[in-house]
Amino acid sequence: MERDEFTLVRDMLRAFATRFRSGSADDVKAQTRTDAQRALDELGLSGLRRTSPPAATVQECALLAEEHGRQPLTTSLLGTALLAPELLRLLDLGERAEPVHGDRPTVALAGDLRFPDRDAVGLVAWDCDGADTALFVHAEGRVTEHELGAPAPTADLLRGVRRASAEGRPVGRLTPGAHQCWQAYALVVVASELVGAARSFVGQSVDYARERHQYGQPIGSFQAVQHQLADATVLVEACTSATRYAAWCLDSETPGRALTAARVAKAEVNSAAVEAVYAGMQVFGGIAQTWEHVAHLYLRRVLVGAAVLATTADLLTVLAAPEATR
Amino acid sequence: MTDTPLDFGDPEDLERLRHDFRAWLAGHPLPERPPGEPLPVFLHRWHRRLYSGGWVGLDVPEQYGGRGLTALHQVTVSDELGARGAPGVPRIGYLAHALLRFGSEEQRRRLLPRMLSGDDVWCQGFSEPGAGSDLAGMSTYAERRPEGHYIVNGQKLWTSYAQYSGLCLLLARTDRAAPAHASISAFVLPLDRPGVTVRPLRAANGDDEFCELFLDDVRLEESERIGAEGDGWPLAMTTVAYERNALDTGHLSKYGLLIERLRRAAHERRGTLPDGLLSDIGRCAVDYQVLVAHARRRTAERLAGQSAGPESSVDKLLMTRAEQRLYETALRVFPEELYGEGGEVLGDYFYSRAASVYGGTSQIQRNIIAKRLLGLPVGPRA
Ligand SMILES: Cc1cc2nc3c(=O)[nH]c(=O)nc-3n(C[C@H](O)[C@H](O)[C@H](O)COP(=O)(O)OP(=O)(O)OC[C@H]3O[C@@H](n4cnc5c(N)ncnc54)[C@H](O)[C@@H]3O)c2cc1C
Repeated sequence: MERDEFTLVRDMLRAFATRFRSGSADDVKAQTRTDAQRALDELGLSGLRRTSPPAATVQECALLAEEHGRQPLTTSLLGTALLAPELLRLLDLGERAEPVHGDRPTVALAGDLRFPDRDAVGLVAWDCDGADTALFVHAEGRVTEHELGAPAPTADLLRGVRRASAEGRPVGRLTPGAHQCWQAYALVVVASELVGAARSFVGQSVDYARERHQYGQPIGSFQAVQHQLADATVLVEACTSATRYAAWCLDSETPGRALTAARVAKAEVNSAAVEAVYAGMQVFGGIAQTWEHVAHLYLRRVLVGAAVLATTADLLTVLAAPEATR
Repeated sequence: MTDTPLDFGDPEDLERLRHDFRAWLAGHPLPERPPGEPLPVFLHRWHRRLYSGGWVGLDVPEQYGGRGLTALHQVTVSDELGARGAPGVPRIGYLAHALLRFGSEEQRRRLLPRMLSGDDVWCQGFSEPGAGSDLAGMSTYAERRPEGHYIVNGQKLWTSYAQYSGLCLLLARTDRAAPAHASISAFVLPLDRPGVTVRPLRAANGDDEFCELFLDDVRLEESERIGAEGDGWPLAMTTVAYERNALDTGHLSKYGLLIERLRRAAHERRGTLPDGLLSDIGRCAVDYQVLVAHARRRTAERLAGQSAGPESSVDKLLMTRAEQRLYETALRVFPEELYGEGGEVLGDYFYSRAASVYGGTSQIQRNIIAKRLLGLPVGPRA
């Protein structure tokens, strides 16, 4: 996309997010969810990665995912507008066998929300607001389409997750290179949303530290508070750098290098985003521990997000292997 | 901080450079460090060899002895050195940037090519016994004589590698009354000048890295001042800002090398590793690659026109995190360094403890982030 065009799209998403953000957990209701999803769908973002060549770079999509993460939103941008269209695009480039029946697919994950291993059980349709079907990528690259079932419980109050049928209809298969791209892309997009969440929440806690007074001073003037916020800032910048670089790698480098960069990014985000939100909550003090405050919405998002696709333990073991053996 | 897509360079162009550099490395085997050769002497030999191939100062304009490429080319060379297990690029980036920005045209043309080629070895005389974190408290004084030259008196401390250096980037007060940001000036001090005494101090790892510098009635010419009188403070801030980026200090390749060594060791000893050590090695790899990605992002932002500023405190803290965690882990992978004679890993481990002190302590970096990046209010005076 041209830079101006991208700025326009991002500003549109930003305006949408400001309008539909949940002010507290009490705002998360069925009707408001549906309205928000309809408004997001009207932005037409699902075309960004659907065509070859795609209308938007991965770097641009990653920045939009960051933007979406900044506010507590119940909408599915990741699953239906970014992940599923990219999966279809990669399938079209490879071994597409059958058409997909649903109009608005999202992606399915193993029940523990990770990339599936050979015997994944209990599939769920992840990030499924507004979706009518779910696409599942098997460990060896086969892709199947699944029916949506009852809502599945999740600690992330903003995220729509439903059960998906165990049996799926075959749709095609990803080539090994496309499979690597798919995994890298999914890691980058999910990580980006978490980066946006962490950055925004730390920003809110910095604002609070300027306004909140104790002992006759703004709490942000105390060095202990300053250092905590400085450390959180370092974490946010670290995961931003890692994620944006991984996104760029997908646009410019080989699938193998992009996958390594994406794994690094997700590993960093898994720990950094959670730590940064902890720091922000500490600065907010007691108020952040209440149901009404947005803090726990952010905490829930990054906490569950750190388990989605690949946990820290999964990633560190892979990244500890010598270059030559990977 | 930018929220538009960043340009991390043209992959093909960078790949070509990587390819050329590899070809050059293949024909120029890495130097051996003979037992007992001090590290700076070894690194200096390496510096000269790299320079002979055109691999120093890639991002310095050609008229000053560089190659006029971008900082991303410099990153690529640094990256590749790490991958090859070679010593890092010479640590001159931060000095070169300070000279580029504050030196006169005559000084840039005279000093930069010799700095890049290794003909001149530089050290940095900022800290003093009474002025560490608080550089503004510096008391070394350069008194301007009516004839135009300066007479300098004072003492510097922690001047790394002064005993191997010919020139020192010296900060001294040129006005006793004005506040620090207006009263400090920068000079090029030849260390063989009468009145200069260099006394090495032994470091915790046993090396004699840093020195004390005594200055007794040392004469400096006006032409040896860099920038105008009073430019010393912004010059120092530029220098330390660049010094805090892992890219400019050439540390990246050193980390990359050790991580690959740890990975191989772990791979060979599969199954006999203590609990959690494998994932700690993975963590080090993540720290390192995050640092590389971060250095690239900051480089891309720099190319887009941002100069090194308070953001470099983030860089420094990330570099410190990577380095300290890496050497702690290395000592657990190679425990014999603790109960045997000790070796390079133990030495580097000790040096890694200094990472949170030199170039401004971690606390000072946090203060800078809080005040200058986040704009938090000034605290009660301690
Ligand atoms: C290996 C090594 C190499 C070095 N090389 C050079 C060199 O080449 N040239 C050069 O000029 N200098 C060099 N230095 C000096 C280095 O820059 C100083 O050591 C450093 O700035 C800290 O100063 P200090 O040692 O006087 O500690 P101090 O400033 O006395 O600090 C002591 C402790 O107090 C803390 N502290 C101080 N002020 C504050 C504050 N406002 N808020 C919170 N905490 C605070 C510090 O963080 C630190 O923990 C080197 C140091 C080392 C260790």
